Amino acid sequence: MYRSTGFISFLLRRISGVALVIYLALHMWVIGSVNQGPEVFNARLNAVQTPIFKLFEIALLAAVVYHAFDGIRLLIVHYFDVTDKRKSLFYAAFAIAAILTVAGGVPILMFMLQG
Amino acid sequence: MFDFIFKRETPEAIKKGNKAIVRIQRFNPEVDEKPYMEEFEVPMTPDTTVLDALHHIKTEQDGSVTFRRSCRHAICGSCAMNINGSNDLACHRPLSESLDYHGKITIKPLPFQPIIKDLVVDRTTFWAQYMKIKPWLIPPDDIPEKEFRMSPEEVEALHNAETCIMCGACYSSCQVVGLNKEYIGPHALLKSFLRTADPRDSIPGERLEIVDGDNGVYRCHTIFNCIDACPKNLNPTEAIETLRKLAQKRLAYEEAREERQKTLNEPIREA
Amino acid sequence: MRTFQLQRYSAIALLIFLTIHMIVVHYPPFHIDFSRIIERLDDPVWKAIDIAFILAVVIHALAGSYMVLTDFQRVGKYKRVLAGLAIVLGVWAMYYGTVTVLNFTPPV
Repeated sequence: MYRSTGFISFLLRRISGVALVIYLALHMWVIGSVNQGPEVFNARLNAVQTPIFKLFEIALLAAVVYHAFDGIRLLIVHYFDVTDKRKSLFYAAFAIAAILTVAGGVPILMFMLQG
Repeated sequence: MFDFIFKRETPEAIKKGNKAIVRIQRFNPEVDEKPYMEEFEVPMTPDTTVLDALHHIKTEQDGSVTFRRSCRHAICGSCAMNINGSNDLACHRPLSESLDYHGKITIKPLPFQPIIKDLVVDRTTFWAQYMKIKPWLIPPDDIPEKEFRMSPEEVEALHNAETCIMCGACYSSCQVVGLNKEYIGPHALLKSFLRTADPRDSIPGERLEIVDGDNGVYRCHTIFNCIDACPKNLNPTEAIETLRKLAQKRLAYEEAREERQKTLNEPIREA
Repeated sequence: MRTFQLQRYSAIALLIFLTIHMIVVHYPPFHIDFSRIIERLDDPVWKAIDIAFILAVVIHALAGSYMVLTDFQRVGKYKRVLAGLAIVLGVWAMYYGTVTVLNFTPPV
């Protein structure tokens, strides 16, 4: 083990990436049935409309937003010589991702609670 | 582990600052099944380094403590070890500044490499990867009578890499190395950058071809541990990013080098 | 082109496509309006954008998975098998996605 902000960002990037690949498969399963008639589509859509999947939706938002901003951070490191600001960049990416997750997660939660 | 709950009394001598407790990870493959921690108490003055403490333990307390060291001037790169969770040179690190609340310092061998004994690790992969990138300079055929003429800017560009002492702190701080020993590693890529960027070198294209692969520069995931670990404040990540950019325009770079070498042994211009 | 470059360029494409996707599909928040999606998907320009989006996602997902797996030393020797698998999966996913988008007809 060798702990550092870089390792945390690497780990989060990997975990969110793998989670997004799993989501992509599920998404294809649901949306891909759109041409197979309304019964199939509605059945599959209802399977992922349960409250537990609404919570997963917030996790999905967190994964997408974190992965995106971590990617932007890596692009910045690649195209500009800013390795001495590596810690600030990580905190900035994490903070923006956290803020956007809360901003998007609260409406999802409220929508879920309202029914 | 639960030190923060069960706070033990700190001995008077440690409170006053002239004693320190050194926790060393011990492992003798002939006797032990797995590594264990052992504590030693050593005297301390403000100028004691971690290596001095280790020497004290070896000569006065337990002669079986094994570690590598040579120059104690931070230039041989033998005594790199994991001190309080980060890789550093033992000869370079003051003991008094490395102590925690309990007056303790934790010393482990370099991570991600097989332990031979105590603090000595098997660095076979480290050197094998290093040899892969041809770490020596290959000069052009026509060597000048006196010296190569390099501009101050060209020399400046090499400063990031030339003071590397091959201690292995960056290599064994890299999580990618922990996962995959076939990765060339930050130390070798830094050296490759030094040779590639050097205007005296005549095979930059071949060097870029060696590092331009799945196990070369593209295996780096920009974790930055190598920068944090380097005792010489070098920047392997930046070198890897530069190599990535150069590898994309390899042929143009090769051509520019050939042009540059035509003017390498020109006589000194009169000012 | 190397996996790394594929990953980087598809990532840049995804940043653009995902911003469009988020604004068009999920904004305003609180509910997904299916009639709007149907209206949008009637337009061939949107179909083209969606197919390009699928291409970027598929490349990014497969290249990413390939890189995650080959980071492990033991998987390294199967990397040709993995690459072949990724190409097959990618072609199938692109076919499936394109056909789905092109054949999409709004239920009246």
